[in-house]
Amino acid sequence: MWIADFGVLFCGLLQDVSSVVIATFVAPEELGTNPSSMLWLLPLAASISVAYKATKLPTIRAGNFIKESVVLFLSIVVFIIISVLVLYALAWVITE
Amino acid sequence: MAEPSKPNHLPFLLIVGLLAWLVPGGGHFVLKEKKRSIIIFAAIVLTFCAGLYVGSIGVIDPVRAKPWYVAQIMNSPLVAGLGYLTATGSYRAYGWPNEIGQIYTSTAGLLNLLCIVNAVYLAYLRSTQTSGGRNVDS
Repeated sequence: MWIADFGVLFCGLLQDVSSVVIATFVAPEELGTNPSSMLWLLPLAASISVAYKATKLPTIRAGNFIKESVVLFLSIVVFIIISVLVLYALAWVITE
Repeated sequence: MAEPSKPNHLPFLLIVGLLAWLVPGGGHFVLKEKKRSIIIFAAIVLTFCAGLYVGSIGVIDPVRAKPWYVAQIMNSPLVAGLGYLTATGSYRAYGWPNEIGQIYTSTAGLLNLLCIVNAVYLAYLRSTQTSGGRNVDS
């Protein structure tokens, strides 16, 4: 009998906790479209670097893993900066 | 002369793939790649949660943003539950669910797809090596 009561209590608690967790994700952040909003690409690039290197390295050792991830992260950022400069130059040539 | 029967690896590969989909990093965990699985879990879950925090659960929209939803559901089948909640209006997003949240959650899903494929490939390599099959690594 007490097992059934415990089950009901546990399910209710789980529902309350999940409601609270989900309720914290119902208000979107106001980010706007300004130059600083481009900084949101940095955490995404870091995440891509870490996940990609976790699948590609034959063995995971802290020092090597961090070094490889940082190199890939910097490569992504440098490539984005080069793309931005090329696109900016193109836009300048077309509009001027 | 009868050919020796080849071992059937398909159920094992399916289990690894399903676990990797169910929990990010789960496939690698089954393959005893614990460091890899922890890194994958942390990277994908943090990216997904960051996307949800920035964009709200409104970014998971199976009705009006189906292509994004296909990428998002690669995170885990649990995303379908969130999609159901937003589709039925159980939890309304107060404000404009911004695109950065959508990009973050979808990228996390695509990263998990990469990890699922990698886990299944690793499982295939190990099962062929242990059964004395052709070494496909070379």
